[in-house]
Amino acid sequence: MAGTFSGMPEPADAGGERPSRFDRYARIPLVAGLLIGGVAAIIQGLLISAGGPEAYGFCVACHTRDLVNAGVNAAAGTKLAIAALSQNAVLPVLTVVGVLVGAYSAARAHGEFRKKPGSLSSYLWYGSGGLLFMNFALFMGGCPYRIGIRIGYGDFIALLGFMGIVAGVFIGLRLAVARAEKEG
Amino acid sequence: MATGWLPKETAVIAIPVVTLAAGALIGWFTQRSGFCSVGGIRDLILLRQTRLLTGFLALVIGAFIGFTVLSFLSPAAFEHFFWATKSGLLIPVPGAPAGLSAGAYILLAVLGGIGVGVTGVLLGGCPLRQVTMTSEGNVKSLSFVVGMGIGAVVYTAYVSAWVVSLLKGII
Repeated sequence: MAGTFSGMPEPADAGGERPSRFDRYARIPLVAGLLIGGVAAIIQGLLISAGGPEAYGFCVACHTRDLVNAGVNAAAGTKLAIAALSQNAVLPVLTVVGVLVGAYSAARAHGEFRKKPGSLSSYLWYGSGGLLFMNFALFMGGCPYRIGIRIGYGDFIALLGFMGIVAGVFIGLRLAVARAEKEG
Repeated sequence: MATGWLPKETAVIAIPVVTLAAGALIGWFTQRSGFCSVGGIRDLILLRQTRLLTGFLALVIGAFIGFTVLSFLSPAAFEHFFWATKSGLLIPVPGAPAGLSAGAYILLAVLGGIGVGVTGVLLGGCPLRQVTMTSEGNVKSLSFVVGMGIGAVVYTAYVSAWVVSLLKGII
């Protein structure tokens, strides 16, 4: 069953060498979650004078939107909308670039970087999936993480969004099972 | 207008620096832990495992504790915390298209959430996981991230205006 989902996180204790004490904590998702939530609150405290919205300290969908749209605006002279926070800043939010750098450093430091290419059709499948995903995320005003941060900020609509995500995972698993059975 | 710890002139310069540093710190931890929100829900349903889901719940709790403590220290930076009691139960924190009715926001949140859940689970992870896997050398995840970037432009240039006019017509 689990084999049908390629690219899933592997068990954290898959590595060979003995982890350091720091790394034993870093491997716990709960620690990462507390960190993201806490950092999002601190970022709002630091930067909110530059512009809103609130509960915007960390978001993979909206912060990607801000960065890409700001880049397109600068290159093509368009006026694609971005959040006030990014509009007023000297450069837009670079959160996603930061995640790429941090995750790459961690993967390199622990010998977990390996180039994993796929087929051309898999690239098209993943690319169109990313395109659709971005649109759905922006409908609800954020990726699952900003939804989590908004729930922490007291936003009831975000809680409904989270329930939608849970329902979507149920539906997606049904679809995956149906597809796997059809393929035998 | 909300007032944060940094004055506006400093904050506009600090934005790229602070978000880059915060992203790098978070990226390190997501790579080490395999953090994933959609994956957490999937693991609970399929495998009865709560390891990943506790990460997402910790995010909500971490944010809540952070907002509670910091809004006590500097209320001006968190003027609408706790949102539901300050701004109203059926009004979302801005981010989704502006100026819609409560019913439209509920519809957008639920349908958007379902779309996020379906695409996330079929492609093996939510966006943070995809960005992290890109940094581990996964080219399929890189295509997902590039698709997200194209999706952002398509959404902003076309889809959001269509959705707003459609929703204003029906709700």
